[in-house]
Parts: sequence; structure tokens; C-alpha cells
Amino acid sequence: MKELEKTKRISIAATLFILAVIIGLLTYKRPKNVYAINTKDTLEKITSENYYLTLEELKNPDYVLIDIRNQYEFEKGHLENAINIYASEILSDDNTNVFDELKESKKTAVLYGNNPQEVNASFLILYQLGYDNIKLLAIENSYLQNKLISKKVVIEKSEADVTAFINESVKKANTVETVKVVVAPPKKVITVEKKKKAAAEGGC
Amino acid sequence: MVKKKIAKVLAFRYKILAAILILLAGGLVLLPKYQKHEGIKPEELVSHAMSPERYMTTDRLAHILINQDPSFILIDVRDEKSFASYTLPNAINIPLEKLFDEDSESYLNQNQFDVVLFSNDNFHADQAWILCNRLGYKNLRVLKGGINQWFTTIINPLKPEENMPAAAHELYATRKAASMFFGVVYPEQVKVEAPKIVKEAPKKVITVEKKKKAAAEGGC
Amino acid sequence: MGPLIPNGVIPIEWDNIIAILIGIVFGFVLEASGFSSSRKLAGLFYGYDFAVLKVFFTAAVVSLIGVYYMDYLGYLDITQLYVHPLYLWGAIIGGIIMGVGFVAGGFCPGTSLCAVAIGKIDAMVYVAGIMVGIFIFSELYPLFQPIYEGYFYGNVTLEDSLGINPYWFVFIFSMIAIVAFVVSDMVTKKVKKIFY
Repeated sequence: MKELEKTKRISIAATLFILAVIIGLLTYKRPKNVYAINTKDTLEKITSENYYLTLEELKNPDYVLIDIRNQYEFEKGHLENAINIYASEILSDDNTNVFDELKESKKTAVLYGNNPQEVNASFLILYQLGYDNIKLLAIENSYLQNKLISKKVVIEKSEADVTAFINESVKKANTVETVKVVVAPPKKVITVEKKKKAAAEGGC
Repeated sequence: MVKKKIAKVLAFRYKILAAILILLAGGLVLLPKYQKHEGIKPEELVSHAMSPERYMTTDRLAHILINQDPSFILIDVRDEKSFASYTLPNAINIPLEKLFDEDSESYLNQNQFDVVLFSNDNFHADQAWILCNRLGYKNLRVLKGGINQWFTTIINPLKPEENMPAAAHELYATRKAASMFFGVVYPEQVKVEAPKIVKEAPKKVITVEKKKKAAAEGGC
Repeated sequence: MGPLIPNGVIPIEWDNIIAILIGIVFGFVLEASGFSSSRKLAGLFYGYDFAVLKVFFTAAVVSLIGVYYMDYLGYLDITQLYVHPLYLWGAIIGGIIMGVGFVAGGFCPGTSLCAVAIGKIDAMVYVAGIMVGIFIFSELYPLFQPIYEGYFYGNVTLEDSLGINPYWFVFIFSMIAIVAFVVSDMVTKKVKKIFY
């Protein structure tokens, strides 16, 4: 009888373990939004592929414009035939359905906002989720007397040569008085060690 | 009667347990495999990306640089050529393509420094930020407007009109002073005094220590 | 979601409290399995009692399967778990010394404390011996340091070093466990019953 007593404990423990596994399996729901590509591949793609569009290229009927600004700005003025999907809601059910449909019908979603920087995050997140039918419209929107004005911009263009400007200013000053200016920004040497995984140690 | 039956079943108890073990272990092998999620949830990423806290203004950065705050690392994500022609003081160059190289990771994935990413505007820096944030890297920030904004606000600040509010004038004064710190020389400055020669600060060696939590020892 | 502490679900300050709770449960299980008896522990080496093997092997297999299921279902991120670093020769030499002490004394460090808790005098002597050993080791640390810190192979797991699919590894490991249980049962039946 004593032996049986012990068995009871074992059976209870075993049953609990199996129950836990079964409940886990049954309640398991795959997350709705799953990344389709990992960060390394994404990086490789965004640095090699062209995903910008300019205003002139918009003529293609396969392009569907998506305005990622908020509703207020959208109603104030937007490009023709644009759909409004606010940036922080791009992953809600309705909106991902829109993107899914576009992908199925082989249309390209063209995202735009007040400037390309604003669209960047939404674009990149959708891109990582596997929507490869997405482009980014390189325009800058502003309002002139409540009318939307879209201007073409070049992304990551260096607008000014800062070194030249500084040298110029030094030169200008030096024509007044020739004093040698040494501008050497202090160099910082930063050495880093590789991060080591650390956690609690354990034994038997 | 029932007890007897139970006793009969229990005679096989170890075999039953073994069978369960095999079943569960076998189930693990047979379960359909899927690509594992890398990094934080997309929903989280969206909310992080929308937060304005991830930006740093050029004025704040100028302040940090002038005070030589040692807790900040600047990372230039432009290509080597732009990096060579102009960059912020003490910035480290990690071109966007090399973001996930092994050397880069130690700068990006640490909790010792605050890292400020910048590029010409904030487009590429933003991309770097999003990819890193997805991997759960902490303490990253993006310089709002990048080098272009840096130029228009700090290096070459616009002189306010006479009739503008005092705050604008104050801001201009600060920015102008900052621009002098970063090497711009104004004509009137020279007239008053000889241009200050910026002394080369002693080389600072910053060691990023490995992220190590106190490890508790154990044994049986 | 998990592991809970690295992901901030439980603040890191709770570390010690959780450690105490787990320690209490661990000690309870050790005592409940009869491991505070040095005869029972030594039985593994003389072949008359395989309870130690069964308990630890079962614990390992159950937690292994459990962890992999939780990882599969997304409740736990297996890559974030702590993997003990491998210092090859330190582990081998330390293992031999510990093994000799285990057979000779009939306790491993954990169970000796259990036995002290229930008042066994041999265990108290054993723990005193552990203290002396620790003292000698600390005093002679500079001598041992090259071995202690050398031959570092990183935080490797068996799956990494063998390069096999972890799920298959779990399966094979469970098979080995079951075979070990069957064999140990057969051995106990053959060996003369010893009453202790």
C-alpha cells in the first residue's frame, strides 16, 4: 500500500505535466504579424534596392497611394486617390488586410507623408513583415494657403559642405588678421569589448 | 473491484510513464517548424518608432558635445567618403551596410553609453535605429534632421530679425557660441580677440565594458 | 515572454527571494527522494540503488522537454537562457575530484546540506571538509588560476558542438534516459538486496 501512495504522487505530477503541455498547445495562437525577413536580409535589401518613387513615376495604374499622416492632415489636403492609414495604426487588422489585398492583386502600395523621413518607420516595418510591394514616395508636403503642395526631395542629400563652410569662415576671418587657427577636435579612442552573455550560474 | 483494476493498470506505471516521455519527445520532433520571430514584436516596434523620444535635437547634441559628456557615443551611418569630408567630433563611422558587422555590434548593443545615430538627414539613421530596435538594442537615439539640420542650426545659425522675440535672440547667441566651439570663426570675433586656439584635449580611452550581470554561483 | 527576469517581467531585485524559494523546494525534493542518506547516494556507485540517477535524469529530461515546448509555443526564448561556460580542463579535473569526494563521503554538496538540516553527523563533518577545501583552494588560487580560467570554449551546448537538430537531440536524450532506467532496474534486481 505504501508503494501505491508513492505512485499516486508520480501520477499526479505526470498528469499535471501533460496537462500543462496540452493546455499550452491548445491555447497557442500564432502571432498575427510575424516578420518575414530577418534584420540582416532587410539591411542588405534596403541598401541595395531602390524603393523610392518620384512624383512623375506615379502615373502607373498599379500604384495605390497611401497617406500615413493622421486624419486631420489627410482631410486638410492629400494627393489624389490616396487612402488614409495613420502610421501608428498600420498593424491593425483592417489596415493589414488592405496591404494583404494589395499584395494579392499585385499592386504596389506607395506610402507618403509630410516628408520621406516620416514614412520611413512605417515603410521599414511593413517591409520586414514581408510586404515587398511597398514603395516610398520621395516628396515633401507643405501647405500654402491651405492648399497642399508636394515638392520633390532627394533623400539623404548633403545640403551643405560643412567643412568648406568652416574653412571659409576661418579664411574670411584670417584676411582680417592672420592668426593661425588650429581646430583639431579632440580624438576619442573608444575601445569596446565584445558583449558576453551573462546570466545566473547554476549547478545540479 | 475498481481498486483491483487500478492496481492492474498501475502495475504498468513505469511503462506508461516511459511511453508518455517518448510521446512528448517524439511530438517535439514531429511538430511543424516555422521561422522563429527575431526580435521584438512588430506591434511594439511600431509604438517605439512612433515615440518622439527616440530623437535628439541638434541643440541638445551641441550642448552634450561642448560639455564633453563622456556617456555619449556618436555613430555616423553615412559612407566613408562623407565621413571623411565632415563628421561630428569624435563620431565613429559605421556605414549603414555594415550595421550588423561584428565590430559594430559592440557599439550598438551595450548599456553603458547613449548612442546617437546620425546621417545627412535622419533617413538612414532612422533605418538603422529601426533595425537595431527590432533586435532590442537599448540606448539608441537619432539626431533629428541629421547633419543638414546640424548645419542650419548650429554651424550656420540664421540671424534673427530685430523684431523677433528675445528667446530667438538668445537661442541665436547660444547657437553662435556653439558654432564657434565647432570651429566656425566670425569676423567680429577676430577683431576683438585673437581666435582661441582649441587645445587638443588628451586622448580619451573609453572602454565599453561587457554587459555582465552579477552571476550567482551554484552547485549541488 | 520568458525568461522572466532578463525580460523584466520580474524585477531583478527579486533574484534572491526567488533563489531562496527555489532552494527550499530543491531541498525538499532532495530530502523527499531520500538523498540525505549517504548510503542511498553511494548506492549508485555500488549498484544497489539507482534513485540518484533516476531522479536527476528524469528532472533533466522533463525540464528539457518542457523548455523546448515552451520555446516552441513562444512562452520562452531559449536563446536567452543561461548556458554555463565550458572551461574544459577545469571541468574535467574538478569533476574527478568531486566524484572521488562523492563516492568517499556519500554526499554531494547540495545533499550534504540537506543532511545537515536533518541532523546527520557525518554530513556535518563532510560540510566542514568542504569549507576546508574551499579555504585551501582560495589560498592556492594563483596556482590553480591557469587551469581554472584556461581552456575556455565559450557558452557551448551539446547541440551546438554536435551540430544536430535540438529536437532530435531531445528525442535521443529521452531514449537514452529510458534505456538507462530499464538497465538500472535490471541491475538492481540482480544485485543482492541491501538493507540500509
